Amino acid sequence: MAGPSMADPTAAARAVRQARIRSRAGRVGRGLILLVASLVFLGYTLAPVVWLVSSSLQNEREIVSKPPHWIPHEPTLENFAAIFTAREKTVTYETRRAADPASGGFIPSTASNLLPALGNSLIVACAVVVLNLLVGVPSAYAMAKIRFRGRSASIYGILATRVIPDIALVVPFFLFIRNLGLLDSLWSLIITYLAVTVPFSVFILVSYFESLPDELDKAARVDGCSRWQTMTKVYVPLALPSLVAVMLFAFLASWNEFLLALMFTQTPKSQTLPIIVASFTSDFTISFSFINAAGVLAIVPPVLLALIFERYIVSGLTAGAVKG
Amino acid sequence: MSKSSALSRRSFLKTSASGLVAASTVGRAGAALAADPIHFATWSAAVDTVKSHIAGFEAKTGLKVDYSNTPWAQFRETMITKFVGGAPIDTLWVSDSWLPEWAEAGWIKPVDQYKALTAYNDDVDKFCVDSMSYQGKQYGITYYTDFMGFIYNEDMLKKAGLSAPPTTWAEVIDQAKTIKSKGLAEYPLLVPMAQETWLIEFISALVFSHGGRLVDDKGNAVMQEGGAAQALNLLVDAVQKHKVVSPSCVETGELAALKSFSAGQHAFGLIPKYRLRTLNDPKQSQVAGHAKIALMPKGEKGSHATVGWMRFYGMTPRAQADATRAANTVKLMEWFGGKADGEYRFQKLLFKDVGAGFGVKSLFKDPEMRAAYAAYGDVDLIGKQQGLALKKDVVTPWFGEWNDVNGSAWQQAILGKVTPDQALKNSAAKWTSLKKQG
Repeated sequence: MAGPSMADPTAAARAVRQARIRSRAGRVGRGLILLVASLVFLGYTLAPVVWLVSSSLQNEREIVSKPPHWIPHEPTLENFAAIFTAREKTVTYETRRAADPASGGFIPSTASNLLPALGNSLIVACAVVVLNLLVGVPSAYAMAKIRFRGRSASIYGILATRVIPDIALVVPFFLFIRNLGLLDSLWSLIITYLAVTVPFSVFILVSYFESLPDELDKAARVDGCSRWQTMTKVYVPLALPSLVAVMLFAFLASWNEFLLALMFTQTPKSQTLPIIVASFTSDFTISFSFINAAGVLAIVPPVLLALIFERYIVSGLTAGAVKG
Repeated sequence: MSKSSALSRRSFLKTSASGLVAASTVGRAGAALAADPIHFATWSAAVDTVKSHIAGFEAKTGLKVDYSNTPWAQFRETMITKFVGGAPIDTLWVSDSWLPEWAEAGWIKPVDQYKALTAYNDDVDKFCVDSMSYQGKQYGITYYTDFMGFIYNEDMLKKAGLSAPPTTWAEVIDQAKTIKSKGLAEYPLLVPMAQETWLIEFISALVFSHGGRLVDDKGNAVMQEGGAAQALNLLVDAVQKHKVVSPSCVETGELAALKSFSAGQHAFGLIPKYRLRTLNDPKQSQVAGHAKIALMPKGEKGSHATVGWMRFYGMTPRAQADATRAANTVKLMEWFGGKADGEYRFQKLLFKDVGAGFGVKSLFKDPEMRAAYAAYGDVDLIGKQQGLALKKDVVTPWFGEWNDVNGSAWQQAILGKVTPDQALKNSAAKWTSLKKQG
């Protein structure tokens, strides 16, 4: 039996047109759903950041307004001014309250500790990144490409160290650091963070190196490369996305770490950003807007890093996850 | 982090670290300690005020002080780690809530033998000395003290046609209903009930003002009866029946409550008294000039009693192990907790700088202090309310573990998941069980 297209070309054309319309409507519908879902997701993830930035530009009186002012009615930079103009000085009875430079008396006088803390966090995070690469890359290459007795046990052994929760390591670490005379120094953090991050770095890199063909290794060796040259001239350039992932992981882990920094640091000389920001919430006078300004400062370096290395992040993290 | 997990952690830390501590201290026993500075640990509060007073101490005595501070929320865990790790600490701020635990563990030592410190007992409120004492021994000298205040928004009351703040909890509910009916506030009464360190203070204030106790003098649970039961029933009715307290009070902590009250959202609030200064600061609060304090309303068979709390300077075994170090540490403790150059200088600085309360009775008569208080509060009423403050009756070595259960029980009752009666029975059963375990 002939269908409409056979019997009536006009009807057939109409049917085709309708099918196209339905198809287009379906695509538009799906697109709309995706758009709405994306907007909801975007709002959900960005709203806290937007509020963080917005409230950092408000005064303490405005920040408690109901409904909240997403766009500040009386924008002010006094919180940032307090951070960038505060200076460390000897505190006496006479000068103790003058330490609130831009404030009505409620911006913490310890605002002067923020920039040094930012510097401490950067030094520690960068040092941990560099050391992670120096330790992690050769380890991972060896475990991925050199067949030796106990290879699997080494990989699982390294990973097993991360099964132990950090809290269980605090006291042993504390005694270790104290006996080394490193309490209240940046080295205490660099050493312990390295111990905490290297296993994951090795794990990520081993997976990536294993996904690269062994033939490359053999070819390089045939061409006269030493093990070291094979690693640095052949594998490391190919592993760039994975290295970026490791760098980001080590940086962020160090940047955000709180517990160990809390235990090992005592003064602004070595305290990192999370400790200083947390200390603002303890005081008798607490400024939400100031804490949020400190929060804005704290997210800048990780966000910049993420933007710079954005194209490597996903490929680096997923590399080696699925092996053919 | 929950208190129970913290306790588990404490146990874990104590046991796992003991061997390591012993090993690490071999060879150190004979070290000369007297030349070291006095190690002074605090939480991160009034940092510049503390620093200025340390500078004064160093100039006066020639002694050096190694001062460090840690965020309040992590202070207890940090100090415990440092105690078991053998970190050098001579004197530190201690909360009354931790006293039994730290005293039992031997992390702080009694100071009864130091007359320079105990001589101040006559000039401080009784609950202050009580709060620093455990099993008949005194463990420190006052740092600051305060009490849970009943704060009201005078402007909102006037708009509602109410001429005076309530004096009983029944009046609180009536006035709150009036304010709600006039659309001045959706939830006129603010009672923060989030599971945090402040929760026991809010609960205790409610219970004490209803004439109740959580435990009796023998340490037996009485929280399932009398004033405690009335207090919880009042709160449950306020939330569920009268709708004058928000159900989200179970997620509102002390700090959030401060900000909420300062935004002008409430007529009445249970708020630590020292926040009165912030609430009346136009740069921080939208109710500046209108936040007033009244005596804690009383329950049917209650009084205007409230709960007071105490933070004090404790002394470690390390400080007492060496006579010179002990003497120097006592000097520093007295400089802060007692008189410095003939006056209670640090208490005055702390009050003037940040509004922190003091336990020294004579300071309520000090013209300078009265003038400072008068800028935002009724000094005589504050003195009277402080005189009616009671120490928390549940501070025991098992307080942390019980506190979690009790807090959850009150929250569940507020949300209508269990009856108030059942909630209090659960709480009492937990207390009794923990007490048996010691």
